[in-house]
Amino acid sequence: MSLNISLHTVTAALILSNNGERLYAKYYRPEDPLQQFKTLQQQQKFEKTIYDKVNKLHQDVLLCDNHLVTYKQTNDLILVFVGALQENESMLFSLTANVNEALTILLNNLLDKQSVLEKYDMVCLCLDEAVDDGIILEIDPAVLVSRVTKPPVTSVVPGEMHIDISEKGLFSAFNYATKRISEKLQQGL
Amino acid sequence: MSTQSYKAQDPYSLGSLPDKMAVYQECVQQFNALPVDAKKCRQLLAKMLRLIYHGVTFPAEESTMLFFSISKLFQHKDSSLRQLVYLAIKELSATSQDVLMVTSSIMKDIQLGDLIYKPNAVRSLSKVLDGLTVSSAERLFRNCMVDKNPIVSSAALIASYNLLPVAKDVVKRFANEALETVNSYKQFPSNQFQLHEYYGTSTTNLPSNSYMYQYHALGLLYELKSHDKMSMMKLITSLHEGSSLKNSLSIIQLIRYINRVLHDDPSLITHLYPVLHSFLKHKSDMVELEACKTLTTLQHLVKDDEFMNVILTLQKLLSVPRSATRFAAVRLINKISLKHPEKVLVVNLELENLINDPNRSISTLAITTLLKTFGVGTVESTSSESVDRLILKMTSLMDEITEDFKIVIIEAIESLALKFPSKHKKLVEFLDDLLRDDGSIKLKTAIVEALFDLIKFLPDENAKQLILMNFCEYIEDCEFTLLLVRILHLLGDEGPKTSQPSYYIRHIYNRLVLENSIIRSSAVIALAKFGALCDEPLASNVRTLLTRSLKDVDDEVRDRASVSLRFIDSKQPSLIVNDSRFNLAALEGKLTHYLNNEDNFSTGFQISEVPLLTLDELKSMEYNEKLTQLDNNADGSGSKDKSEKGTPSGNQDASNDDAAANEYLKQQEYAARLAEVEEFVEYGKLTKSTMTPIYLTDRENEFVVTVVKHFFAETNKLVLEYEITNTLSLLVLQDITIDVVPDNEAYEAEYSTKLAELKPQQSGSVYNSFGVPGILEDDVLAALGNTLKYISKDIIDDEGGIDPADEGIQDDYEIEDLEVSAGDFMFPLYKPNFTAIYDLLPEEDSTVVTVSGVSTIENAATKLTKTLSCMALDGTDYVPSDSTSHILKLLAKDLWGGIVAVQVRLALRGAQVVAKIEVKAETEGMAGVVASGAY
Repeated sequence: MSLNISLHTVTAALILSNNGERLYAKYYRPEDPLQQFKTLQQQQKFEKTIYDKVNKLHQDVLLCDNHLVTYKQTNDLILVFVGALQENESMLFSLTANVNEALTILLNNLLDKQSVLEKYDMVCLCLDEAVDDGIILEIDPAVLVSRVTKPPVTSVVPGEMHIDISEKGLFSAFNYATKRISEKLQQGL
Repeated sequence: MSTQSYKAQDPYSLGSLPDKMAVYQECVQQFNALPVDAKKCRQLLAKMLRLIYHGVTFPAEESTMLFFSISKLFQHKDSSLRQLVYLAIKELSATSQDVLMVTSSIMKDIQLGDLIYKPNAVRSLSKVLDGLTVSSAERLFRNCMVDKNPIVSSAALIASYNLLPVAKDVVKRFANEALETVNSYKQFPSNQFQLHEYYGTSTTNLPSNSYMYQYHALGLLYELKSHDKMSMMKLITSLHEGSSLKNSLSIIQLIRYINRVLHDDPSLITHLYPVLHSFLKHKSDMVELEACKTLTTLQHLVKDDEFMNVILTLQKLLSVPRSATRFAAVRLINKISLKHPEKVLVVNLELENLINDPNRSISTLAITTLLKTFGVGTVESTSSESVDRLILKMTSLMDEITEDFKIVIIEAIESLALKFPSKHKKLVEFLDDLLRDDGSIKLKTAIVEALFDLIKFLPDENAKQLILMNFCEYIEDCEFTLLLVRILHLLGDEGPKTSQPSYYIRHIYNRLVLENSIIRSSAVIALAKFGALCDEPLASNVRTLLTRSLKDVDDEVRDRASVSLRFIDSKQPSLIVNDSRFNLAALEGKLTHYLNNEDNFSTGFQISEVPLLTLDELKSMEYNEKLTQLDNNADGSGSKDKSEKGTPSGNQDASNDDAAANEYLKQQEYAARLAEVEEFVEYGKLTKSTMTPIYLTDRENEFVVTVVKHFFAETNKLVLEYEITNTLSLLVLQDITIDVVPDNEAYEAEYSTKLAELKPQQSGSVYNSFGVPGILEDDVLAALGNTLKYISKDIIDDEGGIDPADEGIQDDYEIEDLEVSAGDFMFPLYKPNFTAIYDLLPEEDSTVVTVSGVSTIENAATKLTKTLSCMALDGTDYVPSDSTSHILKLLAKDLWGGIVAVQVRLALRGAQVVAKIEVKAETEGMAGVVASGAY
């Protein structure tokens, strides 16, 4: 058992759907000799093993193919983080639970396959802000959420006036007005 | 409602994976368009990332084109688009060429850009830089590192960390900045949480700082300082005393560094133990867990009462609500219990509660751990009571868990029964019950194999009989042909030696009547074994039964019956029952060798050259493998997880077989190498070589010398093969010999070789051979003083040439003495009934010695077993770590084929271990050799 002394603690981050299909798969540091899943086939085989086990046993942590796997199941999604066999289970699981929480917030409390695919940009950013190259970058869900930008609301083309008259657009216009008016009122007082 | 139906029609937002070419073309088109449509581009980038994260790779050319197009997006000021652009750049940088071109855009962003994407820019920058261009960004990194925004600071630290492999010299200059960051206090800007509407305006419950930068700075600092032990120590103590680390991850990292420091220098434990101890109680369970893990790996350095604190912390962790933590704790306890089951007795109560844990990995681990601790129950009666209780609990649990878990439990039971034969009865009963329940062939095979091993290795004849009878009942209604055949084979092997063979004959004959042809044919062979080995009138009854099979409908059955009858009638039992088997590794080696060269085909393959293994030898190999395998399974923790049992244990078997095969091949290799030296040909067949070379110098010396002892029993010759490595870079050695002076006058130096030249970093071998006295003639043990003699010449040019005029300097180099010990004349051997063998052996000798170099009974037992090259029997290799006396039973075979049994009584006197060694041997003189050679 060799001690992992580096900051590289996460081997892979995965989001699998309820039929085992990969929605997001990032295997960190492919050039590292410790990374056992270099080719797509190896990765998919590994994901299948995880998927088979996850479905059979409802638990948060398992050992699989000489790796420590922690995961969270929400609706039709499985969020998985993979680490080395000797990694600190509690740490990896905290990461999993917190990223799961951050994603839930980002996707408006609707963490399922459809919203992940719809807001794939935010999901990518969230995972990127959590783990960079196998190094845990941020573990606090509130901070994670605050780091992810929402997509631009409108396709702003300069010189062209754009009015969004959908339900959402009106609602945001209303919110904006409320905010501005209350600010003005406060200033006036 | 309306949005739902809109979404369903939108081809971009949902459904299957987008087409790669379409995405590529649209990306190139849109990114180059003017003006840039931010919303659309972000969508497109998301699609492209989806492809990448799905495993699609863009070829270098396309990737470069994409990369180039994406760089156009830098002109758009929308920060949410830019953030995703940086992620895309990071992902594409690995496959694209010319990534350097975006460097200046990124650097501009870092200096002037929006705070939202500044950290992303910093991290992306490290991906596009190479070793040469790093220095241009040095000042930028430095400024970001000390930035008061914690996220920018973290990004810069990680970027530098990732650049370490390519530009260590540049990153080294950041040490001061990193140190400053570890100790600093940085706060999120007040608008950090305004970005997302979820938080609204209430920021009261939000963290003002997550201190992650401490973790990253500490990681970087270690990489820069790890070579310097003193400054590491300073860093550790100052960080601990100031309690300046607020982040749990950074504390975990600190604990790992302490572990590493202690690994290199165990003497620091007195300073560092209090630090580790303070982390055993922490508000975060991951820190407590890490401290426990570290102290467990350092267990040999920690005093027993201090180690109890670890167990207490683990005990607390066993009952936390988070299953990941419970899992970690029980996994760690299980690991401790492998070596020191007595240490974890205190948590037995918690473990029993965990048996019903909803997480099956946890409950299985709890059971296997409990099984291990029973072996060390201090009072016999209480522990057997708890075995009953555990078995009761397991029986109820067995209905609920999956087969994978059952198999793990079966293995744990088997290993317990093997290690502590006195407890076997209950465990065998449990296995038998399990065998009768429903189950797949995989489960049944696991049970049957466990029982097979118990039959082979349990010393108690009654146990054997019990299992065999259970098998007889089981085959009455076994539905798996494969298993039936294996059981019949075993009954044939073991049945004739039992007290009532007729019982087994009846059951086997029933199969002959009722089952399919495959089973019938193996039943015939099993019966034939009874016929060959049993006395009249049983033998003639068997003949009658076999005669009936001559009229069987299946030709294979008829063939086997008639062949068996012939063999029985010819009174040649060896044709039916074999008591030896070919060494399969050797057979394979010989056959490959034979087939590789067509010249060999002129003569037939000589099967007689392949060594035969007797059943005893086979058993000792298997027993050894079995124990290591069971231990590995338990240890590798990968195997804890039942479901993956299939593959890894398959691999394990393979590697175990390999180990045995390797050992044999190594011996072959030695033999082949020795055969190249003419003088050794007449010495006959190589009997034994030491498996691992013995170092006669430190491994870092100027010259590294190792030696392998080869012994030829037929002619009583000893050949020493010295391997010398020249590690000096500026010296050539010539005329190298080893001067060997035995302290035993009966050793006659016969022949020695000389090595002409050794260039730097080369190694070569020198042989010395001796005639040694026969076992009866004289004292065969000796100590050999060794001196390396050589002429050294300096290297004068770059090609490693030497001055031809240089006469060199004649020099001697003292290396350590080599001992020829009793272990060199023995092979480990396994037999199930040590005491019986011990009493029968004729030769006897005894001695009392102090075992040098060890301070615990446990180490002394391991050392004696190794130096005597024996096998420890009856589970006596297991020594409870707090015991003060122990009896070790060792068995071996000497080079002349005799059995050597050694009984060692070990006792702790102060800091010394005293051993009373009683040896009994078959070969005349051997007992004396062992007694005088043990120390």
